[in-house]
Amino acid sequence: MVLIQVIAGGLLLGAVYALLSSGLTLIWGMMNVVNFAHGDFVMIGMYIAYWVYTLAHGGVLFFTPLAAAVLYVLGVLVYFALIRHVMRGPMLGQILSTFGLALFLRYAAFWAFSANFKTLPDTLVGGTLVLGGIRISAAEALAGTVALALTVGMHAMLLRTSIGSRLLAVSEDRTAAMLMGIRPDRMQAVAWGLAAANAGIAGALIATFYYVSPTVGESLVLIAFVVVCLGGFGSVHGALAAGLIVGVVQSVSAYWFGPVYEDIVVYAMFVAVLWIRPQGLLGRA
Amino acid sequence: MLLRAEGISMNFGGFTAVAGASLEIEPGEIVGIIGPNGAGKSTFFGCLVGDLKATAGQVRFLDHEVTHRSPEHHARLGMARTFQVPQTFEDLTVLENVMVGALLRHPRAAEARRFAQGLLEFAGLAGAAANKAGSLGTPGRKRLEIARALATEPKLLLLDEALAGLTPTEIHTAIELVRAIHARGIALVIIEHIMEVIVTLAQRVIVFNQGKIIAGGLPGNVMRDEQVVAAYLGSHGRRARVPFDA
Amino acid sequence: MRPSTLARLRAAAACAGFVALCAYPIAVTNPYYARIGGLVLLSAISASAWNIVGGYAGQVSIGHSMFFGLGAYLPLVLYSNWQLPPTLGVPMGILLAVFLAVLVGFPAFRLQGHYFSMATIAVAELIRLLVSNWDLFGAAIGVRGPAVSRTVWDFAFRSVVPYYYLFLAGLAAVLGTTRLIERSRMGYYLRAIKSGEGAARSLGVPSRRYKLYALMVSAAFASLAGSFYALWIGFADTSSTLGILVSVEMVIVTALGGAGTLYGPLIGALILIPLQNFSNVLFGAGGTGLTFLMYGGIIVIISRFEPGGLVHLWQHRLRPLIRSA
Repeated sequence: MVLIQVIAGGLLLGAVYALLSSGLTLIWGMMNVVNFAHGDFVMIGMYIAYWVYTLAHGGVLFFTPLAAAVLYVLGVLVYFALIRHVMRGPMLGQILSTFGLALFLRYAAFWAFSANFKTLPDTLVGGTLVLGGIRISAAEALAGTVALALTVGMHAMLLRTSIGSRLLAVSEDRTAAMLMGIRPDRMQAVAWGLAAANAGIAGALIATFYYVSPTVGESLVLIAFVVVCLGGFGSVHGALAAGLIVGVVQSVSAYWFGPVYEDIVVYAMFVAVLWIRPQGLLGRA
Repeated sequence: MLLRAEGISMNFGGFTAVAGASLEIEPGEIVGIIGPNGAGKSTFFGCLVGDLKATAGQVRFLDHEVTHRSPEHHARLGMARTFQVPQTFEDLTVLENVMVGALLRHPRAAEARRFAQGLLEFAGLAGAAANKAGSLGTPGRKRLEIARALATEPKLLLLDEALAGLTPTEIHTAIELVRAIHARGIALVIIEHIMEVIVTLAQRVIVFNQGKIIAGGLPGNVMRDEQVVAAYLGSHGRRARVPFDA
Repeated sequence: MRPSTLARLRAAAACAGFVALCAYPIAVTNPYYARIGGLVLLSAISASAWNIVGGYAGQVSIGHSMFFGLGAYLPLVLYSNWQLPPTLGVPMGILLAVFLAVLVGFPAFRLQGHYFSMATIAVAELIRLLVSNWDLFGAAIGVRGPAVSRTVWDFAFRSVVPYYYLFLAGLAAVLGTTRLIERSRMGYYLRAIKSGEGAARSLGVPSRRYKLYALMVSAAFASLAGSFYALWIGFADTSSTLGILVSVEMVIVTALGGAGTLYGPLIGALILIPLQNFSNVLFGAGGTGLTFLMYGGIIVIISRFEPGGLVHLWQHRLRPLIRSA
């Protein structure tokens, strides 16, 4: 059935959404701040994939870790240069800072790479998988599986490793964490690095099957927000579940109502989540 | 009967912070609430002023049900409060801070300004009127919060550890201020850690421990109550001296 | 420098500025520069409108394009569908904008800070998408107004001069209203809400209601600005009137000049709009990208170093420096 195929595609895409939102929800939980530039981190990951392939013929296994590394550094840099300072200031400054960063990154890409869509060749991760009557492009399958694995891995890292428990400690109670010798500043920088890295990986993966353009950040950041809100901020496994749901809802809507409705449904979901679950958003649970 | 809280309980997902606490306040009383850290007094306070929605029980002010009503409703009825960590309006001047309170009963800005100015003099802040609230130190901010709350012309003022972190001299001045407020006929509920303050100011004291009220009555008697001594002062309690004015 | 000297200089500068503003289209005959004057005023009106809810009340909406777009579309839709004079749409737009403000604000103001901002972005984008797909509003193509005036109520003038004075009146209206609010109870309440909503409520401030009032007034003037735009340009589509960049411009113009101050938005517009136009000319075809690149950079710098904008910079850093000289 075509519907099952659509749902399968939605789940795979949803896993990618979950990956790119997993870091955002961590930052949100730790600092109660929204990063409007998050979608543009994904966009940078996409361009890294494109240019590494185009210039050096590097494949997925090469450009994906590279995107992760570059974005990790960028995330930490953004934290120290900008975020740390504005968090202590007025709300307008906080909101403007990441919004300004988003515009800056987006139009830097616009200027440097032009608005033309770019694509990686189909042959990069080529072929179609056929599983029990469902056809899935290998690129999407790879992206979805890797994304799923990394998101689960992130969740495990938070729960099982020492750095993970330090991140969670700062997220839960900053003062208590400080009293235990954990440095919130460092942990927050790590969180920003991780979030950016996850976004970069997601971008690199998406580039294997989707077009690359400077403006993808705009819609992706809103999807990330829906996922984080729906899943409960601070919760990586919540982001996983919510990501899958959003992916499926989006795909099914596009299939039933037409591609234009893909975005409308996401925004409508977002509005609905904000309206119906404000209790979960005001401060930390 | 100014304020009556009956059977107030507060559960935070399985953890009971307050269980079945009751309190009655008459007009013009000063009542102190004490107890060790984590005893539930701040939670109880939160239920009284409308910060928290009590899981059980009722709060009535001037015979109006206020248990689940908004903070602005409490203020309109005549219940004002200060915050444990001062929440003055940093970007507004000291005078403007008090004006915000005054505007409740004096909707015209000019009138509110006059009233606020009077209150600043009463609270000893007249000199700082034009300064931004952010430029005051902690004692100044606490004092400003009190003046600001008074501007709403309350019948009952609830002070949440308003004297914590002050030097002995500052405490002395603050006690004078509280007495002056009381002299105007305003009832007060004071949460405090500092024994001397409670004993000096309060006509009546209630003691919290582990979410329950374990004692209540005259300060002198309560201080000598064995349960209170054990809960609050531990095994060294017997040796602590508690001075008070009779 | 003596305070009285500084005060006198300041008064003189303000007078000169006011005269320049009024005489500008008469003194400047070059149509290109005259047009920029019109754009500055239009931007100043929208930004001043935003300032009421975003600057004074501290509720950072990044979706004000919904009100601007409403004001822009309505007159032109009335004309293109039913041949009605566009000016009829102006008061209608204002009323509908106020209604929309209540509809959106009532649930949205339950949210704090960043979440409120996100909600406004989402709602504005939703509206933009819906309008782009609706034929009544010209879908992706947009709507047009009359090329020439049939009657005086069509407001289709050739030169920018009558529009300039119309806009000036509009600016006076929004600034006058802001001043009235500033000095009234509402002004103090809004600033208290911005400073600390919890504390404000404990003093009896019905914060949700006042935030709504602020949004209603703000929406009305944003709609007026949109209508002015439509009457002048004679064309509206979703990207020019409902896009997120329309909302962002209002925010950064205000933030640059000084959010929460009376003249901040005007100052921001006086700097940013000419800058935007000249950069567009300077950078040619790739111009659009560089303009917003610059916008992004400016926003980041303001937010990092002087979130209070130029007015704050003047009041708290430059003026004391001059005084001590």
